[in-house]
Amino acid sequence: MLITLSLSDSRPIYQQIVDEVRRAVVLGTLAPEDPLPSVRTLAAELRVNPNTVQQAYRELERAGVVYSRRGQGTFVALSERDSEREALAREVAERALRDARRYGLEPDELVAAILRAAELDLSLPTSTREQP
Amino acid sequence: MSLPSLPTRLEGAELAIETRSVRKRYDPGAVALDGLDLQVPTGAVYVLAGPNGSGKSTAIRVLLDIVRADSGTARVLGIETTSDPALVRAQIGYVPETSETGYESFTVERFFRHHAAFFEGWDWEYAGLLCRRLNVRYMESMERLSKGALRSAILVTALAHRPPVLLLDEPTDGLDPVAREEFIALLVDHLADSPTTLLWSTHHVHEVERLADHLGVLREGRLVLQASRDEVRLRLRRYRAGVPEGWTGAPGLNGQVLLREGEGREVALTVWGEEREVVERLAAAGATVRDAVPLSMEEATLALLRAGSDA
Repeated sequence: MLITLSLSDSRPIYQQIVDEVRRAVVLGTLAPEDPLPSVRTLAAELRVNPNTVQQAYRELERAGVVYSRRGQGTFVALSERDSEREALAREVAERALRDARRYGLEPDELVAAILRAAELDLSLPTSTREQP
Repeated sequence: MSLPSLPTRLEGAELAIETRSVRKRYDPGAVALDGLDLQVPTGAVYVLAGPNGSGKSTAIRVLLDIVRADSGTARVLGIETTSDPALVRAQIGYVPETSETGYESFTVERFFRHHAAFFEGWDWEYAGLLCRRLNVRYMESMERLSKGALRSAILVTALAHRPPVLLLDEPTDGLDPVAREEFIALLVDHLADSPTTLLWSTHHVHEVERLADHLGVLREGRLVLQASRDEVRLRLRRYRAGVPEGWTGAPGLNGQVLLREGEGREVALTVWGEEREVVERLAAAGATVRDAVPLSMEEATLALLRAGSDA
């Protein structure tokens, strides 16, 4: 799992960690029963406050994405991949809406633009598209 | 100096460090602390930012009872600092602003032994590990150490007894960039292994950006802001907006605008408030918001230090 943080992102760091883990689960780079790095390891790797990682793990546990086994660490929970995808899509949509609002765009303008962009994307040869 | 009403109190947190209305002046003209209400929650990494002379070092010295306040109270882990200074100091790892230790004739090892005698929890094995990571050699004489190595040796004395409270006054001053990175990495490990409340005074806020969870900004001996990092990220934003020629501002945002940049048809306003509300009020005043970005902690500190002074 590769976690990338941005300090200029409007999301707090713990939220970015939460989102990155969810992303890894949806992409399948983290499978059910896979261990998450320990709080200490991840904090050291990202050079962030261990409390922040702890906060992110708590949040993920509350959302049912991971569970902790006492003394053994944190593991990815068995989850409905579809519902995770849905949750992730909702978050991406909310972010796009917030951005749109900043630029004075209405939701329907945004939706229309997304559909147009997706069509354009589909009409390109697959080799130029980003591989999932 | 007219500043917007910014939060200066942390509600509901259990505090490891707390000062109430602490005042200190060194001589009649020079006010160092002017009613300081510092609140550092237990387990926090609290960055105390401010320019030189804003009172950061004095605040830390009051906590150690090296400096006595003229009035007000200071508590560390619930103990009033003036009532039992030795007990308070035994709980604290301290890196002073200056590297003049007064033990220049000692070897590093003797300097450490001197410290170890004061702290029950001194851990020689840990001290050794810290020294290896920071490249400090035991047998070197203190006066022969480079500026950075001396600073590192002092850092080791602050960490090696795993104190519940760390007071770091410009700790990375004199460290080269590599040593600075290593020190921050080492601190992350330390925080993960030992429950610690950390108060870090600095004017290089960007160094602690990833570590800090609380921010206090000192100006002329008082806090102009004291809040969690998340709250600052959420509420302090820079809005770029298109405005009509000769735009005079948004009356609805009275007292919330810290900075205004730009003339003509596009301005940037640094505003404290809830984003949606700010955007609405700007719209009501004829401005079209194009984007709103949160500030890095360094930018936020600068905005708070400049606010009200160039208007």
